[in-house]
Amino acid sequence: MITDLWTVIRKEWIEILDQFSRFKRGGWSVLLVILFLGVFVPLQIGPEWAVTPAMFFYWPFLTASMTSTIVTDSVAGERERHTLETLLASRLPDAAILLGKVIAAVLYGYAFALTNLAIGMITVTVRFGEAAVYMSWTRFAVLLSLIGGSALLVSGLGLAVSLRTATVRQAQQLFGVFLLGATMLPLAALAALGETRQAAIVAWAQQAGIEAIGAWASVIMTGVGAVLTGWAVLRFGRGTRVLED
Amino acid sequence: MTTAILARGLVRDFKTVRALDHVDLEVPAGIVFGFLGPNGAGKTTLIRVLLGLVTPNAGETRVFGVDPTRDGAAVRARTGALLEHHGLYERLTAEQNLAFHARAWRIPRPEAVARIAELLRGLGLWERRGERVGTWSRGMKQKLAVARAVLHRPPLVFLDEPTAGLDPVASATLRDDIERLARDEGVTVFLTTHNLQEAERLCASVGVIRRGTLLAVGSPADLRAQRSTSVVRVQARSWPPEVRAALGTHPAVRAVADDAGTLRLTLHHPDATPELVRWLVGHGLDLEAVTPERASFEQAFLDLVRDADGARAP
Repeated sequence: MITDLWTVIRKEWIEILDQFSRFKRGGWSVLLVILFLGVFVPLQIGPEWAVTPAMFFYWPFLTASMTSTIVTDSVAGERERHTLETLLASRLPDAAILLGKVIAAVLYGYAFALTNLAIGMITVTVRFGEAAVYMSWTRFAVLLSLIGGSALLVSGLGLAVSLRTATVRQAQQLFGVFLLGATMLPLAALAALGETRQAAIVAWAQQAGIEAIGAWASVIMTGVGAVLTGWAVLRFGRGTRVLED
Repeated sequence: MTTAILARGLVRDFKTVRALDHVDLEVPAGIVFGFLGPNGAGKTTLIRVLLGLVTPNAGETRVFGVDPTRDGAAVRARTGALLEHHGLYERLTAEQNLAFHARAWRIPRPEAVARIAELLRGLGLWERRGERVGTWSRGMKQKLAVARAVLHRPPLVFLDEPTAGLDPVASATLRDDIERLARDEGVTVFLTTHNLQEAERLCASVGVIRRGTLLAVGSPADLRAQRSTSVVRVQARSWPPEVRAALGTHPAVRAVADDAGTLRLTLHHPDATPELVRWLVGHGLDLEAVTPERASFEQAFLDLVRDADGARAP
């Protein structure tokens, strides 16, 4: 199973890297993003860029956005490019195919976030000095888990959507609707709790600290992402996917 | 002799359409089996059932003794397939495409490298192995897809119109390769094609399907012999108009065609020739020659399909 997973992950990554290597066909956009997020924004924000609590929202959101572009293509793209049936006719198990695509997307999210984080840290260190960018290991660990949790959540949701759409465009549109719902739902739930409970939550958050909140958020996102991914794998059904091709 | 494919009473419905209607089929191992039929006849559906991608509504199937409905993975581990679409990753190079499938079938790396080189060289694609497949012509993609199907040396290969889109030289080379696969390596090839000459040349046995119903199974020679009509060419010194007209309504004659003074008569049954000759002589014709035409495989196929359509017509 591990070998099969790696086979799929490797193939997905070769296709991702091919996209970036073709400068004239969109590869330049990646360079632009890196320059913007890794150089321009840190310089604008200043030393606080490395240590502001907003990082705990900024990086997961960024990771989710970039991961979604990969994962919505995962099955819908294969269907659109008429490679799905041949893939399903191989000896690769369903779980390896789907989990391989999810893991590839999560790794992409991590790679994107960490690359920009590293470039940003270098930028801020060079510009403002090393002392300005101290981040505790605890905070760094929570940040990493938030990035992973958001990537897995988006990957699970994106996979579930991609399985049921005929084209990548439909997958992206449907995914956008679900993502909006996923974003608004916690806010709506919070608003529905009433002022007393809201105040209690705020008090807890202030007492717990940003790292604890981040840790809980990553646990919830990871859990939901794992459930969505598991559900997609269980409900896959080669026959249905082949007939939809 | 080992049976590669066995189907008994196979039924598959798609809403109101019966794609497979009680199909019984047995394909021995080590031959090239041709599966022929018009578009929409059920050929692709049968392949999907045999690969365990689609579950039949009734009946049973076995591929090398394994039920693809229960253990599709085991079936797919022993098969290769070139399906309706070539299924190549166009962002990857030819080498990367084959390398991916080599890993999927867990071919050890040194063996995979050698096998990929062997296949690409054999198909004349070696020099272009580093190019993205998306930049290739349709024929080149088709060749690569066939290479992918046989990469892991499966004992059973499904080829859905493998020579479609290939130039004559490439088609001929591929046909030779398919023949060699079965003859020298004992691979069972389940082939669908619209090229009847190709089927006649390559296939030890063929099945003809029409609207989900298997009309006939046998060697191309058997199907020609079973043909429901036969053709005789009749040369006579002259053809009186009344005899010519009467021929058209003769119960044994299906069709009359004039070929520069020689009449080409399509009969309902091959055994009708002696009766027809007696009738012609009885009507005062000076016969010069009566020559049966060798029934063509194409005509046998068309007769089968038309008879099936005629049987269905109200």
